[in-house]
Amino acid sequence: MSTFALRRIAMTIPVLLGILIVTFVMLRLIPGDPCRAVLGERATDEVCDAYAERYGLNKPITEQLIIYLGRTLRGDLDVSFRFSRPVADLIVERLPTTLELAASALLFATLAGIPLGIISAYRHNSAIDVGTMMGANLGVSMPVFWLGLMLAFFFGVVLKDTPFALPPSGRLSAGANYAPFYAVWGIADSEATASSLLIFLSRLNILNSLLTLNITQLLDALRHMILPAMAVGTIPLAIIARMMRSSLLEVLRMDYVRTARAKGLSEYAVVLGHAVRNALLPVVTVIGLSFGALVSGAVLTETVFGLSGVGRILFDGISARDYTLVQGITIVTAISFVIINLIVDVLYGYLDPRIRLE
Amino acid sequence: MDSVVSLELSNQGKNQRTYNFWLELLGNLRRNRSAVTGFIIIALLVVIAIFASVIATHDPLLPMFGLPGETPPLPRKAPCIHLLGCDVEEAQHLMGLDLNARDLFSRVIFGSRTSLVVGVFSVSFAITIGTLLGLIGGYAGGWIDNIIMRMMDVMLAFPSLLLAITIVTIRGPGLENALLAIAIVSIPQYARVTRSSVLKVKEEEFVTAERSLGAESWRIVFVHILPHALTPLIVQATLGIGGAVLEAAGLAFLGLGAQPPTPEWGFMLSEARAYIFTSPHLVFFPGIAITLTVLGFNLLGDGLRDALDPRLNRD
Repeated sequence: MSTFALRRIAMTIPVLLGILIVTFVMLRLIPGDPCRAVLGERATDEVCDAYAERYGLNKPITEQLIIYLGRTLRGDLDVSFRFSRPVADLIVERLPTTLELAASALLFATLAGIPLGIISAYRHNSAIDVGTMMGANLGVSMPVFWLGLMLAFFFGVVLKDTPFALPPSGRLSAGANYAPFYAVWGIADSEATASSLLIFLSRLNILNSLLTLNITQLLDALRHMILPAMAVGTIPLAIIARMMRSSLLEVLRMDYVRTARAKGLSEYAVVLGHAVRNALLPVVTVIGLSFGALVSGAVLTETVFGLSGVGRILFDGISARDYTLVQGITIVTAISFVIINLIVDVLYGYLDPRIRLE
Repeated sequence: MDSVVSLELSNQGKNQRTYNFWLELLGNLRRNRSAVTGFIIIALLVVIAIFASVIATHDPLLPMFGLPGETPPLPRKAPCIHLLGCDVEEAQHLMGLDLNARDLFSRVIFGSRTSLVVGVFSVSFAITIGTLLGLIGGYAGGWIDNIIMRMMDVMLAFPSLLLAITIVTIRGPGLENALLAIAIVSIPQYARVTRSSVLKVKEEEFVTAERSLGAESWRIVFVHILPHALTPLIVQATLGIGGAVLEAAGLAFLGLGAQPPTPEWGFMLSEARAYIFTSPHLVFFPGIAITLTVLGFNLLGDGLRDALDPRLNRD
């Protein structure tokens, strides 16, 4: 098992290196002068000389690559031109919002997608099956930001003044102020004295409300998260439901399922106990792969729902042509994507011995 | 004499098989409900795109200020359909007017051209490069294959929308650059599909026979191996057009795709998104157009895959 994991880890190193080289090459592809692309058209020659000196742009290309690799590996992602702050700081600051959104969306997709897939496979060609598959087809065909706008319109305008109304923007109600868990626990009094990790964790509203047992904050945060999570989670939901269905259909035809039925096990035990367990394996991979859809979804929907996450600053950065910010976010997401897939693969090998023995 | 006869026979057999293959595919497709639905949607879309200037009721770029029957305030005016009880004195606008008082219906109709162009061209570009890379890698094997496929792995490590965003941010916003970015990020899919088909047939006897007859590598690859990769490529390309339309809409929503005043669905949504609570018609129609288009290509792609997969025919 550990050799399998090690081999898999070794295989990701060239990919990680490749990601950094691709982003490095892209920096050189900016038409004209990279300094003015990064610092703006009106940067003076002195400023540009200083910039070139600082980032070694006047050195040979191979040396530049080594400097770039070292800098990025140390976590220095350059300074955002739009926000005049280090890109790494900006990402860390905005990450809790995006993380909470992505996790809620994935939870929604998994909790709804797996049961829908199971029912569709078990009642193959029934109305539920046909309906789910039609819904899944529609779900993957919709632009995620449009779905977000439609949900905001439906729950914010059409259902206004009914018990089903949901807030179409923000993370918490306007003016709401909840105590961070480190203050409640007495670890630190204020943001000034708390460590950055504590601040990061306290900004995860749902986690913070659970840690402080604050039901009002929990409900407030959840109510605000439902619509964005539905919008971002719809594509992964459709993919998970489809995968679960086709995988379970295949397993249900196998001999061991017939054996289980023949020996008189209840349908419940046959399907949920025997078949679903094996059919879940490919679904695990799909869940890992849906990270890309979650990131794109966050980038496109955070603006729609007024969430100030990583996707939102990317949106702002794009309109300002803030090249370093766009690049920094791209590197961080690509690396997280590779690491998540690595974890999923290792997990998969752990769950299915056939994979690691190959 | 003998050899001539046998050659003719073998040719006949070959023709018959090819003929049957396409006929069977067509039969399978006709029986496949999703393929038929997808095909109808796409056919309609193509007709709309070709005859856009006939179907559209107005010039998609012309603001309606000062025209007969247009009662102010004009920007973002709700749809006015005479049949549904809208005042006959009022000018008819099936989907209302947009932010600049242009006829939304005409803009949505003309938007089909932009979307189809982006979808078809970006996929053609990606499929050409991707297929070449897949053929070279799969046939050559060894370190050439390794380099190509590791490059593809790196590209696949980026979420495609983010990679496209980075490319367009570097090259500057615009329809051509968006098209190029979408094409570049989808190259790896085609390279992988082609390569796996090449690996499957490369060791077959007819390839060895061809090689022993002294055929050149390029001939073996393009004449004998490529046809085997065509069917999975067609499926991938059909699904790819849907994906490209969706990605183009996303880029346009971020302001990176088509620039005003081009009628483009994603950009129309981007312009209108702030008015969702007051003028929802501006958001409804372009979104429905994108969804239907992507749905059409997805349904046809899924149907093609089912029709081409002999394992599924028994169901």
